[in-house]
Amino acid sequence: MRLRRAWLVAERDLRGERAQPDGLAAAVGLTAILVFVESLLVGPATAAATPAVASGLLWIALTLGAILAITRSFDRELEDDALESVLTLPGGADALYLGKVLAATLLLTLVSLAGTALTVLLLDLEVSLPGHLGLVTLGGALAIPPTVTLYVAISLRLRARALVVPLLAVPALVPQLIAASAGAAAAITGDAGGSFAWCALLVATALVSAIAGLTIGPAAIE
Amino acid sequence: MPRVEASALLHAADVVLDDRTVLRGIELRIGPGITLVRGQNGAGKTTLLRALAGLLPLARGTREIPADVLYLGHRPQLHRALSAAENLWFFARYRGYGSADVDGALAAWGVPHTSGPAERLSAGQRRRAALARLETEPCALVLLDEPFAELDDGAAARLGETVGRCAARGQAVVIATHGRAGLAADRTVRLEAGAIVGA
Repeated sequence: MRLRRAWLVAERDLRGERAQPDGLAAAVGLTAILVFVESLLVGPATAAATPAVASGLLWIALTLGAILAITRSFDRELEDDALESVLTLPGGADALYLGKVLAATLLLTLVSLAGTALTVLLLDLEVSLPGHLGLVTLGGALAIPPTVTLYVAISLRLRARALVVPLLAVPALVPQLIAASAGAAAAITGDAGGSFAWCALLVATALVSAIAGLTIGPAAIE
Repeated sequence: MPRVEASALLHAADVVLDDRTVLRGIELRIGPGITLVRGQNGAGKTTLLRALAGLLPLARGTREIPADVLYLGHRPQLHRALSAAENLWFFARYRGYGSADVDGALAAWGVPHTSGPAERLSAGQRRRAALARLETEPCALVLLDEPFAELDDGAAARLGETVGRCAARGQAVVIATHGRAGLAADRTVRLEAGAIVGA
């Protein structure tokens, strides 16, 4: 029941994003710009020697993109008091938090796959284990949304939300950022065991942050 | 539509917002039928409805409300990027009324059939779309805050008929208004400065 309701909220979010893709466009645009600037600053030679730098910068860009997209998604709830209509539904706050996480995970999966492909292309990286890189990318897309959604929910009614969310969320995401960067670097250099281990850590942090988010997030939204 | 037997209760309820007691000592039992909440601007009508909807915490007292509450506030509460039909489908499916006739309800309320986002509708049309939820979500407790605002005479008459039908099938309908008294209410609650002064 809980998952069905959360999926309905996610579906509603994704339909809204399809009709007016401003959150997705912001996330894709920011990621693309930062990856492009990174390719100019770092350059193929440095990226090949230290792949963790390139992947680290990519995941910072993706985190900022996720913050933009999720904040926009909650902004839509505040327009016309749409949030109140969801909160008065049975189990509405739980479904809203989980639904936002699900929708953001799907969107971030698209953005992170595109961002990873763009990074590989622009930095002319030779990826030894492309399948592992894909897995790490999916793991990162899974690990970031629960935490970002939680902090957006906590700061929902703050005027300084645009500042507060990155200030709170980015430090809390340091383990996920390290795991995603190191996992991607391991996949690029051909370290299969390393990339699996970092990917497992990403899944574990996703689970822990989702459980923490489900405990705190709905109450914060209410 | 199934018949429902609704009731809601506030007992010795206080609501405090920004260190100000907005509702004090509210004793209210609501049963099936139409309850009008009347009072001047600032008397606490909206706060009372939001407290009944479970949207506000009680500083004191107790609250018993059914699991399925339909609250329509001052604003239409629609997701503006979705069409009116998509909004109503979401609510109906969420509550388990997957077979609800959303298109029929919107047509009956005179909302133009369009796949465009709700934000392209006029304020009155968005209000009508929100009120069409009365037809697609037969909740036990229905809370309407100034529902006649932005409605023309035809829509206001339809609202009166719809609310009457809701009451006839056992739903508890609470309407907060400071104006129109044309509705045949089963009971009227008068609020003044956050307290009930007459019922």
